[in-house]
Amino acid sequence: MNDVAPRLHLDYFDGRSAAAQTADIWIEAGQLWLQSPLVRLSYPLAAVRWPERQRHGQRQVLLPDGGVLSCMQAAAWDDWARAALLPESATVRWMQSWRLVATAFALLVVLTIAGWRWGVPAAAHGVMALLPAAADARVGAQALASLDQQMLKPSALKPEQQRAIAQRFAEAVALADRQIGPLPDYRLHFRAAGKALGPNAFALPGGDIVLTDDLVRLMDDTPDALVGVLAHELGHVRHRHGMRSVVQAGLVGVVAGLVIGDFSALLAAAPAVLAQAAYSRDFEREADDDARRLMLAAGIKPRVMVAFFERVAKEQPSQMPIAIASHPANEERIRFFSD
Amino acid sequence: MSEPLQDEGTSASEAAANTATTTAPRVLGIRFTGSGSEYFRIWIVNLLLTVVTLGLYFPFAKARRLSYFYSNTVVDGQALAFHGDPWKMLRGFLLLAVLAVVYGVAGRLSPLSGFVAFLVLAAVWPALWRASLQFRLGNTSWRGLRFAFRGDLKGAYLAVLPIYAPLALMLAAQVYFGPPVATQGEPMNAVQAWLIFSPIVVLYLMFPWALALIKRYQHGGYVYAAQQTQLDASGWSFYKLSLKGLGVMLMGLVIVGIVGAAAAFAAQGAFGNDLPKPLLFAALVPLYLIYFALTAPYFTVRLQNLVWNGTHSPAIQFASALRFWPMAGLTLKNWLLTAITLSLYRPFAVVATTQLRLAAVSVSVSGELDSWMAQQPGDSAQNAAGDAAGDFFGIDMGL
Repeated sequence: MNDVAPRLHLDYFDGRSAAAQTADIWIEAGQLWLQSPLVRLSYPLAAVRWPERQRHGQRQVLLPDGGVLSCMQAAAWDDWARAALLPESATVRWMQSWRLVATAFALLVVLTIAGWRWGVPAAAHGVMALLPAAADARVGAQALASLDQQMLKPSALKPEQQRAIAQRFAEAVALADRQIGPLPDYRLHFRAAGKALGPNAFALPGGDIVLTDDLVRLMDDTPDALVGVLAHELGHVRHRHGMRSVVQAGLVGVVAGLVIGDFSALLAAAPAVLAQAAYSRDFEREADDDARRLMLAAGIKPRVMVAFFERVAKEQPSQMPIAIASHPANEERIRFFSD
Repeated sequence: MSEPLQDEGTSASEAAANTATTTAPRVLGIRFTGSGSEYFRIWIVNLLLTVVTLGLYFPFAKARRLSYFYSNTVVDGQALAFHGDPWKMLRGFLLLAVLAVVYGVAGRLSPLSGFVAFLVLAAVWPALWRASLQFRLGNTSWRGLRFAFRGDLKGAYLAVLPIYAPLALMLAAQVYFGPPVATQGEPMNAVQAWLIFSPIVVLYLMFPWALALIKRYQHGGYVYAAQQTQLDASGWSFYKLSLKGLGVMLMGLVIVGIVGAAAAFAAQGAFGNDLPKPLLFAALVPLYLIYFALTAPYFTVRLQNLVWNGTHSPAIQFASALRFWPMAGLTLKNWLLTAITLSLYRPFAVVATTQLRLAAVSVSVSGELDSWMAQQPGDSAQNAAGDAAGDFFGIDMGL
């Protein structure tokens, strides 16, 4: 009766002795049967761990009692498995077909792009909802303290000039507040910075906005442009961009680390750096959008920003290509504020 | 690309018949028969499933990867087998993920909570390390016999002591004196600075000793049948290795420095003083690669040889004759191709490295393998409890 079921000749180890026995196996009545010169055993099919089909390496069957069947001839195993109607998982079929692997690769690329474009920002959004605003304030205060220690000096501007700029911005914010909804709290700081920062303004998490003396001097004749710059920074504060970029770069870093981190920490760090730049371009667009709306609400023509972009571009003539630069290309921003 | 290799293996019973009459130690060859292109296909599908399940598939992918590498590691005609249950590995993976998230969040919230989380992680790490060794070895078999890891919990903590002690000293000094940041206008006094920074120096000096203790702990706990291995390698040999490694690193730096200076000089001739920055950056990358193609493989090669040549049990002696230049060449090639293909070459690199490293290893066994028997598990209650914990969580930290 056993002759009906296809048989396979292989090595059998009983799990107690290192000695190999030669054995025949076959499947009958929902059981795997094993016959060696010493024993005859049977196991329910579901309790056996079957090997996955692969072109290289030995096929090993792990038996529930600790025994191991080992088959050196892959072709013989495959013939037997097919004849014995052993089921094969879809995963294994995918892995053994170059066509399906190419499909999997294409899917992976699409998923990576989608995850980068929408997944990471959405996940960061979720994380941000859990992070209390107090955390932003603490991070911002620490950052400002360490910047003050290392890069920034007290402003050399006259107090009345500082007051005038702050006043002008506060009035614009108050006007906009009434028309386009509540704007976040902010604290404006005037600082002298070295050549590295040049004419610059930046927002820290929690609402600290720093304006450098060089920028104030650069836009001395068009105070409305300074309002626009500060409105842009207020946009960063409103969207919590500082914390979001930390969270998003962290998420990208974790994912990249999972994929290639065990090979090279350096290569795994590259996506995080690129992500920082790419996402920050989105943030700049968002902040530009906020700035334009605030200016319109405060009765300032967004066109005044064109002068600002042109002068800043003259100060820093070297522009990095858009893939690495953190700000959108100047022409794009000039067009945005000209309309 | 390459043809199946598994037909070359002699059947175990034939091999056993050959040894039955001899008593002199028999050398068992080790071959790795895996193929890069096949592992590439496994890797891509594993990666896709891991991404789609937001990481939850990772332990299943890992179990499949280990099974593939084990079934292609052929020792004397018989491959290793991996018995790990991926569902148990999922539990361990989730446990480690929770630990990692808690640690990351605690560090962001405040320095104090980060400090506490660091202490907790440092306190449980040796226990996790031991549990993962127990799990990995306990789920590896050859000729149907399971391996085991019999290092005790105390040993795991003692092995990391040379690292932990100076670290604890450094942290205590920081807690006592505040963080070692020079506040404006108020330089740190000498005693304070010495107390905070001397443990760092001690840490570096201790490192080779710690490495020796860690390797002795690992290689002193491997069990197969009635054989338990031990590692014969003096602490001094680890210091010698580190010193030589340092020498290779300095040599690499000098080479990179000379080549870099020459290149800069040549470029200055071509472009004048106005050197384009991207070009400078592009020139640095290959130099960096050469540097890492020297030092990292040097450590890998020498450490593998030192550790496996010293590993033996009464009837088993391992030997490793890995050579530096082939490894350095392979590392450079792997690095370049992985970077150029945006990491798609990675599975090929892993297979090629495994092949080179395993081909250098051999085992000689005296006595009759066929008469070796599995030992009764759980000869002490404490061991059984540790095994159970490692097994329940399926903790497997190694790659």
